[in-house]
Amino acid sequence: MAALGVAFIALPFAGLVIRTPWSRVVQILTSDTALTALRLSLVVATIAAAVSFLLGFPLAWTLARGSFRGKTLVRAFVVLPLVMPPVVAGVGLLAAFGRRSGIVGVWLYEWFGIQITFTTTAAVLAATFVSFPLAVLALEAGLRGLDERLEDAASTLGATRWYVLRRVTLPLLGPQIAAALVLSWARALGEFGATITFAGNLRGRTQTLPLAVFEQLQTDPDAAFAVSMLLIAIAFTVILGLRGRFLR
Amino acid sequence: MLGMKAVTVVTTAALLLAACGANDDGAAEGAQLTVSAAASLTAAFSDIGEAFEAANPGVTVTFNFGPSDGLATQINEGAMVDVFASASPTWMDAVANDGPGVTGRTDFAQNELAIIVPSDNPAAIESLDDLMADGVQLVLAAEGVPAGDYAREVFANARIAGAALENVVSNEEDVKAVITKVLTGDADAGIGYITDVTPALAGQLTLVAIPDEVNVTATYPIAAVTGSQEAELATRFVDFVLGDGQPTLAAYGFLPAP
Repeated sequence: MAALGVAFIALPFAGLVIRTPWSRVVQILTSDTALTALRLSLVVATIAAAVSFLLGFPLAWTLARGSFRGKTLVRAFVVLPLVMPPVVAGVGLLAAFGRRSGIVGVWLYEWFGIQITFTTTAAVLAATFVSFPLAVLALEAGLRGLDERLEDAASTLGATRWYVLRRVTLPLLGPQIAAALVLSWARALGEFGATITFAGNLRGRTQTLPLAVFEQLQTDPDAAFAVSMLLIAIAFTVILGLRGRFLR
Repeated sequence: MLGMKAVTVVTTAALLLAACGANDDGAAEGAQLTVSAAASLTAAFSDIGEAFEAANPGVTVTFNFGPSDGLATQINEGAMVDVFASASPTWMDAVANDGPGVTGRTDFAQNELAIIVPSDNPAAIESLDDLMADGVQLVLAAEGVPAGDYAREVFANARIAGAALENVVSNEEDVKAVITKVLTGDADAGIGYITDVTPALAGQLTLVAIPDEVNVTATYPIAAVTGSQEAELATRFVDFVLGDGQPTLAAYGFLPAP
C-alpha cells in the first residue's frame, strides 16, 4: 500500500517529466510570456509573504501568549483560507473589494476612484489571503516553543519590551520566521483560483505563472508543461531548503 | 502517451469517471453520454440535454462546458467524450485532424458578437468606438478561445484594435467568465455573444449591438467523437440538436446554420 501511495503521487510528476518538451524548454522559459509571468510571480509572492509576516506576527503572538474568549474561534477563522476552495476565496475577495459589489471596494471606488480588481494589487491580495494562515501557524508554533524565561530574564535586567523583541525574541525565532516566510511565499507563488476570479488574467499585471500555465494549456500545451516544470523546480527547492525543519 | 491523461486538467478525471459508468451497461438503458460543448451553449444545451433525456428514458447526458479550445485539447489528450460542439470550426478541425477524429460533423447554429455592459452602463458605452475611451475596463476572452479570437477580429474590422486592446484588463478563460466580470460590475464592458444575455440575466446586462459590416458570425459545428463507446447514442444526440433542439437554440437567440 505504501508503494501505491508513492506511485499515486509520483505519476503526475512522471507524466510532466515525460511530456515536457526538453529540447524547447530554454526557448519557452525565456519567452516574453514566461519571463513576464515569472517576474510578476516573484514580485507578488514576495510582497504576499512579507505582508503575511507583518500582519501575521502580532496575531500569532496574541494566539500564542494571550488568553481571551473565543481564541479557538479566531484560530479556526485564520486557518479557514487554507482549507476553503481558492475560487471561493476569490469570490469572497470580490465581495470585499469589488468596485460595485464589494463592501470596502464600493467605498474605495466612489470616494477615491481606486479600483482593486484587475490590478497587481488584487493579485497580491489574493496571494496574501491564501498564504496568511501558513505564516500565522508557523509563527504561533515558534512562539509557543520559545522559552519565555529568556525574555523574562532580559526584562529583569532592564531591557525595554521593544529591546527584548528585537534582541531576544526575534533572533530566537529565526528558523520559524524563515519557515513562515518560505511557506507563505511558496503558497503565494502557486495561487491560482482566487487570482483568476478576483484579479483576472492580464500579462504583466495579473498573469502569474500558474495563470500562464492554465492559458497555455489551451493553446500551447508544450509551453504549459515547460512552465509547470519550472514551478515544480521552485517548489522542490523550497522543500530542500526547509529540510531538517519539517523533514527528517 | 500514458503520461498524458495524468496531466490533463481536472475535468478530465470527472469525464473519465462518467465514461467508466457508461461501460457498466452497454444497452441504452442506463447509458451515459458525455457532451463537451462551448461555454456559450451552456443554457441552451442544458435544456436540450433534458429534452433528450426525456425522449430517451434511461439515458443520462453529462455536459462539460468550457472554452472550445480547452475542450478540444482535452479530447485530443484522451478525454472520453462522445459528442463535441464547438463555437468555432477551428477547434473541430483540431479534433478531426490532430485528435481521435469526428463523424457526422454538421454546422448546427450561428451566433453574433456583441458588446455586453452592466445595465447601468457606468462607462456610457454606446458603440465600438466608445471602447477606445481612456480608462474603460474592457474584458475579453483569451486568444485561442473562439469568443476571444472573434472579438479581436471585430476590433480589426472596425480598425479600433490598437486603442481598444490597450483597455483590456483581463483575458478570461471562456466567454462565461467574461460575462461574470461584467455582471459583478468590475468590468465596464465585455465582448461576448448576443446569446449571452439570457432571459435570467436581462435585468443586469445590456447588449450594445455591433454593426453588421464589422461584426463576425460564429459558426458552431457539432459531431460525434470517433471511438466513442456510445457511438449510436452520440449520433442520436447530434441528430436531436439538428432537429428537435433547433427551436430551443432559436429561443436562446442563436441563428440557424447557413
